[in-house]
Amino acid sequence: MSDTAQETLVTTASQRPPFYRDATVVKWIAQVATLVVVLFALIFLALQAGDNVSAKGIKTGFDFLDVDPGINLNGTIDNDPDTGGRALWAGMVNTLRLSIGGIVAATLLGILVGVTRLSKNWMASKVASVFIEYMRNIPLLVHIILFFAIMQTAPSFSDDVGPLNGWVHFSNKGVSVPRVFQADGFYQWLTFLLIGAVVGNLVRRRQQRVQDETGATTYPLGSLVAVIAVFGVIGWFLHPLFGWLDGVFSTIAEAVDKIPQAAMQIALTVLAVVLAVNWIRRFLNSRRTPAGLAKLTDDDWFRMIFAGVGAAIAAAVIWVVWPGGSSWLINSTRDLFEVASDKFGAGRDSWQNDRPLGAARPDFAEGRFANPGSAGLNFSAGFAAVFFGIVLYTAAFIAEIVRGGILAVPKGQTEAAQAIGLRRATMLRRVILPQAFRVSLPPLGNQYLNLTKNTSLAIAVGASELVQVGQTIGNQTGKNLEVFAIWMLFYLACSLTISVVVNFFNVRLAIVER
Amino acid sequence: MSISDATTAVSEEMASRADMIVSDGVDKWYGDFQALKGVTATIKEREVVVVLGPSGSGKSTWIRCINRLEQHQDGRIMVDGVELTNDTRNIEKIRSEVGMVFQSFNLFPHITVLDNITLAPIWVRKKPRGEAEQLGRDLLERVGIPEQADKFPGQLSGGQQQRVAIARALAMEPRIMLFDEPTSALDPEMIKEVLDVMKELARSGMTMMVVTHEMGFAREVADRIIFMESGEIVEVGPPEHFFTNPTEDRTKLFLSQIL
Repeated sequence: MSDTAQETLVTTASQRPPFYRDATVVKWIAQVATLVVVLFALIFLALQAGDNVSAKGIKTGFDFLDVDPGINLNGTIDNDPDTGGRALWAGMVNTLRLSIGGIVAATLLGILVGVTRLSKNWMASKVASVFIEYMRNIPLLVHIILFFAIMQTAPSFSDDVGPLNGWVHFSNKGVSVPRVFQADGFYQWLTFLLIGAVVGNLVRRRQQRVQDETGATTYPLGSLVAVIAVFGVIGWFLHPLFGWLDGVFSTIAEAVDKIPQAAMQIALTVLAVVLAVNWIRRFLNSRRTPAGLAKLTDDDWFRMIFAGVGAAIAAAVIWVVWPGGSSWLINSTRDLFEVASDKFGAGRDSWQNDRPLGAARPDFAEGRFANPGSAGLNFSAGFAAVFFGIVLYTAAFIAEIVRGGILAVPKGQTEAAQAIGLRRATMLRRVILPQAFRVSLPPLGNQYLNLTKNTSLAIAVGASELVQVGQTIGNQTGKNLEVFAIWMLFYLACSLTISVVVNFFNVRLAIVER
Repeated sequence: MSISDATTAVSEEMASRADMIVSDGVDKWYGDFQALKGVTATIKEREVVVVLGPSGSGKSTWIRCINRLEQHQDGRIMVDGVELTNDTRNIEKIRSEVGMVFQSFNLFPHITVLDNITLAPIWVRKKPRGEAEQLGRDLLERVGIPEQADKFPGQLSGGQQQRVAIARALAMEPRIMLFDEPTSALDPEMIKEVLDVMKELARSGMTMMVVTHEMGFAREVADRIIFMESGEIVEVGPPEHFFTNPTEDRTKLFLSQIL
């Protein structure tokens, strides 16, 4: 080290302020302190809740998930569930159906209404405005109750109430339509599709390269779809070819089951250490300049120390705080592979009879819709009311978001599109809407979250979804805390999934500036 | 009257060419404000016309009327023999023959430079993608930035963006190009690169109508200069006549202020 460098070091060291005035140190102390306070608060609350519950003599635990709840659920995947867990799962499926179907329908309708409201057609624009104002100025609960009342005026249930006997039935007990279901061999067929997607992607890249190099039109995306379709057709008939995956998965499951807990603990610890070391190494690399390693700031040192501390905490959790976690992980992995083995085992010998997908029409038994199985898809009147309610209500908000997004696209874009001769539809599709969506996506994500959470209003009209089922089970078993935990985790998982998906598109739609 | 003087000044050869743009007594109001007052002029094939005038004189409004970005309320506009009316077929025909370059570029920021250029050939002309991309790369070569094809507009400098905008307009193989102050939003060092492309275009025989404040360009490239003020054409003439010996007092005043 040269003399000047030595001197600089000495002077900076001598100029160092006391730690409580050092901006970097204060920042880190504040963050660590916050972390500690939050952790202690959470531990305190958990212990307190535990004390209170045991003081009142309430037994906690998730045993009720395995006990017959003795309830009937109408319009779910299982009208007569054997266990509490199965009942909650049936509720979750209905929540997911409402959410996913609702998001798709509300988005399509919302875009249509939003674009219509901006239309030059006075009549269309006014109709859209009235729809929006009507929907968004009345509480969603009122809409749902109104739709439920409307459903009650439908013809009384019987097996010849149309509109298409044996295909579509619309009555005061709900709607029943044919459905497509996964049959034996579905997962083998899925494997074919997956291989098709991989091969198709290779073909697509090749076609794209040829197109870029020669200027010939080679339809890269079309070839991808074609390859997947070919694999799909072949797999439709030859799906038992992949039945042997059954054995592979069960072997893996057996092998996983033999892993001792200590081995898993060691592996996890090593993983934590490797991750921390890797992070530190990458961090140091990012600080490397052509002239050598840049001088590390205090901030950099704190970060690296924190990475190390993180690994240490992980090790403590693995060995001391929750040693059972490792065996839980082993068991879950084993279960996962066993389920996969079951799925692939199904239908492996049936070359002629089984097709990966089946279809069934509505079926009737004892004056009501038959329990699903090989029967059609049934939606109770309440379910239909909730669906129409959340779709129309959310569509009104989405329409306004879409309108705002379109208006946010500069006028010059429209003019440029007109000047190069684009027709209105092409202009909307290729120029205006892609840019409008960039602006609309974050608020759109909020609407999706709202829609998903609003499905819980189904309890008002007795439609079975997670909250309604959970409420019933909670009342019968008294395990309200546990049901609450399940609700929270489920909605959290849904919301996080939506956020991740929306963020993915947000990044993809971001305009590259530099 | 100076207009008749100027008309006689147009050479015999020019007079024998076909009329590309005919503007006949075009009126345009914004509420009570009359932006265009009976604007009458004819632009011949392969002619380069520069429209000058103080801001608010209606020159941008006029040029925007010619491909229907603004709607004129009285008078007639004929483009290459097709009259601009409410008939959407005529509007589409005219827009596909007239390319336009804007002051603020108006590139589509969400797609790449190449996609900007190929958009209209693919969706309006129904060209196969490969062919359209070949055309796009050739045009980028012509405007001097072939290496920028796969970047996004936001990654380019102003001059480069304007050259892409010119390439995008040329991709429809127009017979007429309209330029609405193409260099006004550019830094001085980027103006030249855009003007060079426009000069090359003029030399290649494109019919051009250019609204600009670049007097050097007007003097060098224009066949005729049209001077507008308060929504009417004040003076028309070849550049040498216009810059050295203008007849109208208003033209003299304008020239004394900017030169």
